[in-house]
Amino acid sequence: MAVIGKQPAGRSGASSFATMFRQLAESVGPEDAPGLRRALFGLIAAAALQGLGLAVIAPLFTAAATPGGLDRALSWFAVLLLLMGAASALRWRAQGFDFDGRMVRATWRLRRRLGAKLREIPLEQLQDKRAGEMNAVVLGNVDENLLYALTVLNLVFAAVVTPFCAALGLMLFDWRLGLLLLAVFPAIVPLYRWRRPALGRGKRILGQAHQEASADVLEYTQGLAILRAAGRAGEKAARLSQTFQKLEAIQVFGHRKGAKPNILVASVVELGLLAVLMIGVFLVTRGSLDPAALGAVFVIVVRLSEPLSTFILYTAMLEVMEAALERIGALLAMAPLPQRAPAAMPDRHDIRFEAVSFTHARAEAPTIRAFSALLPEHSLTALVGPSGCGKTTLTRLLLRHFDPQEGAVQIGGVDLRQIPAERLNDLISVVFQDVYLFNDTVLANIRMGRPEATEAEVRAAAQAAQCLEFIERLPQGWQTPLGEIGGRLSGGERQRISIARALLKNAPIVVLDEPTAALDTESELAVQRALDALVARKTVIVIAHRLSTIVGADQILVIEDGRLAQAGRHADLLAAGGRYARMWAAQGAVKRWSAGR
Amino acid sequence: MAVSAQAGTEAPGAAAVPDRRAGRKPPSPWRILKPVQGQIRLAMAISAGSALAALGVMVSLMLVIRALLERPDTMPWAALGAAALCTVAAYAARLGAFNQAHYAAFRLERILRIGLANRLARVSLGYVEAQGAGALAKVIHDDVKALHVFVADSTPLYARAYVTPVVTFALLLLFDWRLALVALAVLALGWGILRGAQRRRRDMVRAYNAAREKVSAAVVEYVQAMPVVRNFDSGQSSFGRYQAALDGYLAVMLDWYRAAGFPARFSWLMLGPMPTLTLVLGAGLWLSAMGDLSVPRWLGVLLACTGMAEAMMPMMMLRHMIEKVGLSVARIEEVMAAPDLDAAGAMPPGPLAFDPAAPALRFDRVRFSYAPDLPPALDDVSFEVARGSVTALVGPSGAGKTTVARLVPRFWDVTAGKIEIGGHDIRTIGAEPLLQQVAFVFQESFLFADTIAANIRIGRPEATEAEVIAAARAAQAHDFITALPQGYETRAGERGVFLSGGQRQRIAIARALLQDRPVLVLDEATAFADPENEAELIAALSELMRGRTVIMVAHRLATIRDADQILVFERGRIVERGRHAALVGQGGLYARLWQNYETAQNWSLGAAREGI
Repeated sequence: MAVIGKQPAGRSGASSFATMFRQLAESVGPEDAPGLRRALFGLIAAAALQGLGLAVIAPLFTAAATPGGLDRALSWFAVLLLLMGAASALRWRAQGFDFDGRMVRATWRLRRRLGAKLREIPLEQLQDKRAGEMNAVVLGNVDENLLYALTVLNLVFAAVVTPFCAALGLMLFDWRLGLLLLAVFPAIVPLYRWRRPALGRGKRILGQAHQEASADVLEYTQGLAILRAAGRAGEKAARLSQTFQKLEAIQVFGHRKGAKPNILVASVVELGLLAVLMIGVFLVTRGSLDPAALGAVFVIVVRLSEPLSTFILYTAMLEVMEAALERIGALLAMAPLPQRAPAAMPDRHDIRFEAVSFTHARAEAPTIRAFSALLPEHSLTALVGPSGCGKTTLTRLLLRHFDPQEGAVQIGGVDLRQIPAERLNDLISVVFQDVYLFNDTVLANIRMGRPEATEAEVRAAAQAAQCLEFIERLPQGWQTPLGEIGGRLSGGERQRISIARALLKNAPIVVLDEPTAALDTESELAVQRALDALVARKTVIVIAHRLSTIVGADQILVIEDGRLAQAGRHADLLAAGGRYARMWAAQGAVKRWSAGR
Repeated sequence: MAVSAQAGTEAPGAAAVPDRRAGRKPPSPWRILKPVQGQIRLAMAISAGSALAALGVMVSLMLVIRALLERPDTMPWAALGAAALCTVAAYAARLGAFNQAHYAAFRLERILRIGLANRLARVSLGYVEAQGAGALAKVIHDDVKALHVFVADSTPLYARAYVTPVVTFALLLLFDWRLALVALAVLALGWGILRGAQRRRRDMVRAYNAAREKVSAAVVEYVQAMPVVRNFDSGQSSFGRYQAALDGYLAVMLDWYRAAGFPARFSWLMLGPMPTLTLVLGAGLWLSAMGDLSVPRWLGVLLACTGMAEAMMPMMMLRHMIEKVGLSVARIEEVMAAPDLDAAGAMPPGPLAFDPAAPALRFDRVRFSYAPDLPPALDDVSFEVARGSVTALVGPSGAGKTTVARLVPRFWDVTAGKIEIGGHDIRTIGAEPLLQQVAFVFQESFLFADTIAANIRIGRPEATEAEVIAAARAAQAHDFITALPQGYETRAGERGVFLSGGQRQRIAIARALLQDRPVLVLDEATAFADPENEAELIAALSELMRGRTVIMVAHRLATIRDADQILVFERGRIVERGRHAALVGQGGLYARLWQNYETAQNWSLGAAREGI
């Protein structure tokens, strides 16, 4: 809502054009900005010349209709040819910006720039689901909006600049007719700008209705099994039918509301046409205007009214473009997390959280509250606690997906904010619960952990991660593209590939985020062996679902509501009889449960 | 309700099934209009009327000037009136056509959405699962919405694009055939060159779509996997794929500009109004110099001549968008053409009589493939489940356990053999009565964005509040529900409170308890519970299982030690069956699985480290 609300509702024509040009220039980059500027001015000049060319029709036609006026008519025709030729040449040149491929290249460069930008901006901004999708849209579609920029602007100029210049030109021939045109047509632009907020309101209402309908539809498809079991799907899904009916009603309402400005503008065009007609005829009957001149004015007016009546259509496209430019600008303006001077690299790999507090960008309450802990080098630390308590947030702080508002995270005594971003990633290997494999070969997926690794090293990593056997069974072995067979690998196999990747990387710090949570027993066993290979001689942080897996940890940190509730070794924590002991007891009870009787 | 009945009978796409797979070309979007055909035809007729009235304006203007040339001192009221009338009529008709088309479009959206929702209520749940709830919701919402540009915006323009050029040309011929030919020649030249430019268009469009798809795939991979990308890749290989996709796209675009750029640019120039106007002016000058052209006729031609190209241009601009609509139509028709679950069997009328002597559930030589060209996921599977007993399905992943669980509530239908409940082949029972026999709880439970009470009550809408609370109590959910800000009236889901996986699961169990179905299917129902919730979840499940016929998939073998029957699956077949102790004693697959399980259970990360 906020995004829509802050959109400038009633910018004046000139300043909005200036803003748009600035954003366009920024998007195409310094290489092409001058060319773009030349192209735009070329289009404006062409539109102006075309307006003057239209105005020439008046003296031309009047002279031709006057007995003995052929010579004058011919010279006016020469002027017309000149203006038309110049307008066409200018437009041709200007459109070269599109047709010579400069615009495509510029958007190609823009998307590379945006892509590079995504690697720098704080991950928090990306992982916010809505923002993440938005960025994908920017990267995926935005260039298309830009590719139409010149085409759309050309049409807009034809609707705005051409009538204005035609009216000016006509003034030279007959000031009354010129004034008449000037009064009617260019007035439409401010009129439209004035009515635009109403148009926006209609759209907003509609957008909201669509959003709600979309959520209801998703709920229906997701809950279909339950609804059907309850006999409430299909015709009996009363709520869904209601949603659709409501949506239609709002569409009709929004259409009426949104159509009003269009009707207003179009009515002005039509009434203007009739006014010119009446006044012109009146002047002729008074003897102060040649009927042929009036005829020529009709030709001009008819020519001008067509692009004007479709002007609204183009402005809708302009708005899409404006919104796209704004999003590009916002993404380009996003700053990476600040790097503190002096840059430093740790020479040992213990981890220290020092009175860290962190609140997510849109959250009300802090996720981590005054959390302090020391994780010695080569030790194994387990984070346990109920879901949503902040375990994963702690690992993400260590990965610097975001910075804490208070306190500091240090590796080997060096504040993370002093370590250059790409060097920090060299220090840490992560095995995520949700495995992400890339649309590339098995080999490339493992090797991305360390691109310079030799074949023998890759094999060794795969073997240690218990991957070797199934990789060699794949149809094309190491060269099998995972995009095609990704679905045929089991969860355990996918997880083992990701562990091989982490093994190959051989970073001194390892983060395991519930790496065995969703596996079946056979896979689990293999993954466990792979993990044992991974964590040897490393500083390890593990988030574990099943407490029995971490009884051997050097340190267990029990986290509750973002705070450190308890810390110690398994035996000590059990003896202390607090939160951890209760969790342990609960899991023990579960272990003994069996479904028979 | 009359409307949705109409949607049912007029379901578009039902007729389109045979030729759906015939070509890869997107279908014409016209046939999707069927439910609102009348209104669209009306809109197009009004639009054609508007186009005619607009030409009437031109003729009237010409008549005004002709009258003024003859008698400059008299107001030509008749012609003026005609001009005013035609202007108003053209304008009103254009507006009317626009409105009719929009209202038809909105109505069509509703009809299609209700039609699609009804279709999903009848297809197999397996289809829904395979397509994905998100993808289907996208079809119902986004694809239907995407029709708008075609139905609402384009249909009136289509009428105009056909009527205006033809009538205009007739009118021009009437005024002066020579000037008419000049105007036609310009149009033909522009049009001819444009068509020439589009000769390779199909290939170009295909290359363009392929390049675009690659870009979006690369973008999705790149953005979604960003945490992994940053940790492992410093962005090299995935950024490389993104860049390669962009390069491919650039190459396709540059190729297009090289091949079609000049003709497109040239015809664009020719089809603009100025060349026609200039040539008609020039030719008119020549003709009138020869004394062979009257001023009014010349004027008439000048007024009307640009209309031919003008009426056609918007269609050119919309063409790309309309092609995209074709893709949405294809997706909508595909869902509409998904086979009906009930079509497979006959439904006996009246209440079901279950044979009390028959086993509660029986698989009889069941064979099942997910697709005709895939090897069977289940082969020759036969077993019986006695009323009130517990049967566990175990085996390595991919062995077919989950498939068995999903065949019981008819997510899919068997390829060969049959499944019986209480002596009835489930295909003859009908989808709804079947689901009144079988309840299922799968890995993750879905809650509606409604109150917790409503979420439980959906199992039996007529249940009293006391019954809802009793079910919640039995499902170990009552305590945490009453601790919520508004208790049972708290809204769950997106706009409501956050509930953990275990809590959601217990609400689902309360729902199933209230439903009280005799047969219960469980598939990894405890998979996503957090440790602290697990004990309660298990207590809730025990409550739900009491007295019911249970068939359950379990990875955690300890939970099924006491099952009445354990079926061990391997590659789609039952390889061992019996009770726990006997199976462990056999020393076969189950014994191995059990041993692995115990080892995995006792694994501890730290312990392994100390060995190094």
